Amino acid sequence: MIEQYLLAALGGSAVTAVIALTAHRVSRAKAARAPHVEANAQSDELSAAIARQDSLIELHQQEKRELEAMLDQLRDDLRQQTETAETLRVSLDAASADRDQLAQHADRIANEAQRLKGLGATFERWHEQMISLMTQNKDMHAKNQELSSIVRHVVIVSLNASIEAARAGTAGRGFAVVASEVRALAARSEELSKSYRNSLDLSDLTTTATFQDIQAGGKMIAASLSSVEALANQFQSKLHQATT
Amino acid sequence: MISSHAKDSFERIFRQAAQSRLTVDPNDVCDITPLARDDENVDSEGDVVVLTISSIEFRLILVLHFKEDSSTRDYYVREGSDASFQEVFLEVCNLCCGAMNQSLHEYFPDLGMSTPYVLHARSVTHLDQLKPAYLASHAVTINGTVQLSATVCVCAYAPIDFVANVSAAQETGGELEFF
Amino acid sequence: MTKILVVDDSSTVRDEVAGFLRKNGLAVDTAVDGKDGLGKLKATPGIKLVISDVNMPNMDGLTMVEKIRSELANHAVNVVMLTTESSPAMKERGKAAGVKGWIVKPFKGDAVLEAFKKMAS
Repeated sequence: MIEQYLLAALGGSAVTAVIALTAHRVSRAKAARAPHVEANAQSDELSAAIARQDSLIELHQQEKRELEAMLDQLRDDLRQQTETAETLRVSLDAASADRDQLAQHADRIANEAQRLKGLGATFERWHEQMISLMTQNKDMHAKNQELSSIVRHVVIVSLNASIEAARAGTAGRGFAVVASEVRALAARSEELSKSYRNSLDLSDLTTTATFQDIQAGGKMIAASLSSVEALANQFQSKLHQATT
Repeated sequence: MISSHAKDSFERIFRQAAQSRLTVDPNDVCDITPLARDDENVDSEGDVVVLTISSIEFRLILVLHFKEDSSTRDYYVREGSDASFQEVFLEVCNLCCGAMNQSLHEYFPDLGMSTPYVLHARSVTHLDQLKPAYLASHAVTINGTVQLSATVCVCAYAPIDFVANVSAAQETGGELEFF
Repeated sequence: MTKILVVDDSSTVRDEVAGFLRKNGLAVDTAVDGKDGLGKLKATPGIKLVISDVNMPNMDGLTMVEKIRSELANHAVNVVMLTTESSPAMKERGKAAGVKGWIVKPFKGDAVLEAFKKMAS
């Protein structure tokens, strides 16, 4: 654009120069015919033309200066833009590196959540142990029952013995004492057996309650971990999507 | 540790669950009356079904006492079915506790429920050994003929305060939700 | 050829669901817990639909589904949970394991028969 202006200016001045020259030639031709009167008039015209020419040149020079100033400004802007672009590129590189790091971190979280879910296997193990405990308890109940019935039988036998002893009169007195002591022992055994049954009942309840708490608690934990895992996976895939 | 609002809420949640899930038909009459836990009311005959709901702040133990008599058996075991009474009743208790679990979910985000287990009724006398912060027993009578009793026992590990709004919306169930 | 597997520790539920489906002309097998379900699925390649409870002893339903997808590498079989559980966290876990649908007990056969037939075909 500037060149065009300059060319136009130059061209303009060239044309003007040609015109001036032509005019000069014409005026010289005229001057040859009409002496100094015409020469003066021509000279005046030429001065005017030169003056116009000068102001045109001055105008063009000014335009040229303005254009050069604009050019300088544009160069400045370009330099600034280049600097900004460079800064942005550096930030982008840094952000990419951060995001890669975040993506790696997200991977680790997702893996960890996955691993923790494996804890569920522990509850299966505890379940088997619980079944075994409750079976042992049932066993103890059964044995206790049996003891109770033996004790009751002993009471009956000792009662019968007392009766026989009474029938035998004085000869049976020693026997009667033994029989009554056996009955006393039996009564104490029965008490003990009841107390033992009580303990077993308490043990049944606490074992069941504890195991159920573990079972239910395990489910609660597994459900929470699934939420975490789902979130971690979502985060992970978002970050990986952004990279590709 | 359990506020009175929370205690009322546990009671309301239990009542709604019992009314909707201990009955076979929604039109059956279910009467629930509180029982004082003294010796004459604690029945040591028969068996109980025990279930636990666990959360970080508490564990709730539901104990359902039943006697396998003809009226109870006839009510729960459908004619022609060869399922054992105990299996049927276990599932009924499972549904009841499940309904309580669903209600509690609105107020406690992390909950888990156990599978049911059968114990001798005598074990229930020892519930106070678990040091509960809330313990309430109820007599449940269905259609005037089926007698059950239910005990709700809550052990608290943190202060518990919430207000439950039990709406009839819990009656629904059975729709397939596609993922 | 067996198309459907019903997994629940309660014989009442197994009888109810399997009975209903059989009455409607479908071939059904049953399992008593997650471990049993896993074994039966492995042994019966024709199964297209598994209907399972969540709360079971020995191995719960969600763990079973996760193992179906990972250990058995079976991503084709459709799984629907039939359970008392309705917590969003559990449903999320189910969704992540590739569960197709969720039914909160009690079981209402008529409401779900068509959907089951489609998933078992």
